[in-house]
Amino acid sequence: MNSSAKPYMNPYLAGVCLGLVLTGSFLILGTGLGASSGIARIAAAIQAWLLPEHTANTPYFGAWGKYPLDYYLVYMFIGTIIGGLISAVGQKRLSFQLEKGKQCSSWKRISFALIGGLIVGYASRLAQGCTSGQALTGGALLLTGSLVFLICLFASGYAVAYVVRRQWDD
Amino acid sequence: MIDTFFGLGQLDSSRALFMSLVIGILFGIVLERAGFGSSRRLSGVFYFRDMAVIKVMFTGMITAIIGITLSVRFGLISEPSIYLMPTLYKAQIIGGLLFGIGFVTGGWCPGTAAVGAASGKWDAVVFLGGAIGGSIFFNETYAWIKGVYEAGNPHIAFIYQSIGMPKGWFILFFVLTGILVFWCVELIEKKRNQTHNYLHSDFLKQFSFVLLVAGFSVFMFLGDPSSDAKTTGSPSQSVDTSEQVLLTQIENALDHMDPEDLARRLMAGPQDLVLVDVRSEPEFLKFHIKTARHIPLKDLVQQLEPYRNKGLIVLYSNGMTHPAQARDVLARLGFGNVYLLTDGLDGFIKRCLRPVSLRSEPVPESAAREINQWRQFFLTSASAPAGKAFLAGAAPSGLPLPGIIDSQRLSSLLGIPDLRVIDLRSQPEYNTRHIPGSLALNVESLRGNIKGIPSCLLPAPLLAGHLSLMGIQPRTLVVMVCGDKVQDATLAGMALERLGHANYAVLAGGFLRWKAMGLPTDTLLPQIKITPYPEADNDQFTIDYKTVLSHMQNKTALIIDVRPQAYYTGEKSDEARAGHIPGAVNRPFDLDTVKSADAVEFKPVSELTGAYEKIIPSKATHVIVHCRTGHQASQTFFVLKHLLGYSRILWYDAGWTEWASRMELPVKTGITP
Repeated sequence: MNSSAKPYMNPYLAGVCLGLVLTGSFLILGTGLGASSGIARIAAAIQAWLLPEHTANTPYFGAWGKYPLDYYLVYMFIGTIIGGLISAVGQKRLSFQLEKGKQCSSWKRISFALIGGLIVGYASRLAQGCTSGQALTGGALLLTGSLVFLICLFASGYAVAYVVRRQWDD
Repeated sequence: MIDTFFGLGQLDSSRALFMSLVIGILFGIVLERAGFGSSRRLSGVFYFRDMAVIKVMFTGMITAIIGITLSVRFGLISEPSIYLMPTLYKAQIIGGLLFGIGFVTGGWCPGTAAVGAASGKWDAVVFLGGAIGGSIFFNETYAWIKGVYEAGNPHIAFIYQSIGMPKGWFILFFVLTGILVFWCVELIEKKRNQTHNYLHSDFLKQFSFVLLVAGFSVFMFLGDPSSDAKTTGSPSQSVDTSEQVLLTQIENALDHMDPEDLARRLMAGPQDLVLVDVRSEPEFLKFHIKTARHIPLKDLVQQLEPYRNKGLIVLYSNGMTHPAQARDVLARLGFGNVYLLTDGLDGFIKRCLRPVSLRSEPVPESAAREINQWRQFFLTSASAPAGKAFLAGAAPSGLPLPGIIDSQRLSSLLGIPDLRVIDLRSQPEYNTRHIPGSLALNVESLRGNIKGIPSCLLPAPLLAGHLSLMGIQPRTLVVMVCGDKVQDATLAGMALERLGHANYAVLAGGFLRWKAMGLPTDTLLPQIKITPYPEADNDQFTIDYKTVLSHMQNKTALIIDVRPQAYYTGEKSDEARAGHIPGAVNRPFDLDTVKSADAVEFKPVSELTGAYEKIIPSKATHVIVHCRTGHQASQTFFVLKHLLGYSRILWYDAGWTEWASRMELPVKTGITP
């Protein structure tokens, strides 16, 4: 981290801002926030670009038609990256690095990130959403399934945390 | 009232995509400012090192719960215009458990990884690559995991309902839990880190207090039914009254119809008066003046074309601004018979419907009696099957059209000039015995080959020609009489609807019931004079495969396949391909009718209401109905739109015939949607 980086925002006030953005999304779009659908649509586009015929015939990606990227959550995902960049530059937090504990080797952290990504990508499709689209958005609507997802997420997260703790050892 | 892009079915419009980008940018900024561009900080929550994830997420949820609840409560937005995700326990439990493992292993979740990548974190980039791979892996193993993905019955479930707690109480409980959790995690952080935190800060005390007040406020608002009256229609009211002063000066007072005048005319029964409500659809569904018809401003000219300079057209809104502007436009287009309701709906309620006991001014006894009559007429059954009462021309008052008419009622109307009874049975059956004065029509003559697709409803001008030859005019009440196929009556109804002719009814039980009741029949052919019928196309409900595909892909509409189950699953097929549109649910059309000893007729509305409530989330959900050729689906269309009051029903006329033959369109077989 740069020594000149500004401190993080008060988490409670950040939470209020997050809630206001979410409410605004409901008032304008009529839907909440989402991130994993954007990733899945990009995945569908990549697969369609590599294997057009095969992808069109798959039951899941195939149902998204020829132009999977013409979807509002893809735009929201791109927006999230842009917003992150704007803020990281503004807060002087933009720095190219691999975040890990000092004792942890780079290849270990990279493989953990990759495995975690694979699991999260799969789980988000199964549960039809991630922390943003399912837990936060559905939780704000008080939907039963979303809160069940949120509880399961933290339960298994805490259960497995010990196993993968070494990556953060300093 | 805000119309969301989802509510309008326009989430794929370029404006919606642009707004999604903007909301995404704000989302990204907030996540980054909260420090979620760091996997070390994110994963800290699992080691009780840094509890920011819980603080931000819980606060965000509480804020949004309060924001959304109050927005709905105060009429800023209606619940149907919000997308509610279905609850699917198995997928969400297994998905959640897997997700937690991925989250703690990778140190990221999808949204935060986007921000992390933007902050230059290589592990976030790797994680995103993994997530793309995981999505592709899901696609490849879909057949294998489908059982879990689709397990159970997808339904909208709210947590407070699931645990049987009133909503207000649950929100209060949620907020109190949140405050408790915040103090606990601060305590944990202090024990673990012994660094600066909020535990003893004034901020946390003040913040907890603000949350507490907000929680109690929502609780009070939800618990107080009297605030209902305060909010109804208030958003547009203030604008209208300020404009009203200006408009009353400009407007010629002769263009107005006073509320009392309108009330007397409507009470007097059938006459040539079309009352048009130009407010938004949700407002109309909530309450409207009995007999009023809802027409959005943009469709006004088209839908009123049949009534140009015929009878009276009276427009109303909450106030007068919109109807006045609309009246000007109509006047410029040559409508000389358009009137405004003085002071709008607000004035009508104040001057005609407000109880005498609540009025500050003295009311003479004769006036009081009239007010009581109006209250009885306009406030009873006004809400029953909401939004479809429409009185015009010869329609007997109180008969909601389009709708169902019973044999007794029809027999009392026989002989009036503005009535046409259309017999849709076979010609030999008609020739042998029919309702006196009825005209035979083969429903197939209303369909033809349109651009290569067989059995499509004919275009408006050709249908208008048919009506002309049968002496039907826009004001005519048309009654459809079928044999044992109710869908013949409803398909003929679709032809009328394409021309904007809402003035029609289906005879309950058809000819068989008429005969069983011993009502008169004869064998004479009626004498008919040809009358012109306007060719205006008022079809807003027929859609093509492209629209269906777009709704299917974006999940913006519920598709109901009304064919028999064996065709839906693909066991049987008379078409290019077997199966159904992916995502479509099966509700065979013949489940909506019942065959009794003497006739086939619709099941009772209460029974149908219960059946469709299980399938369709809300009255404003976009629903697409289809079958093979559009014939059977017309019956489901009629049931949903006119008997049950669903407002957004779309008809995919070309149906499975076209879908199956277009090889680029996806098809699914089996019993699951």
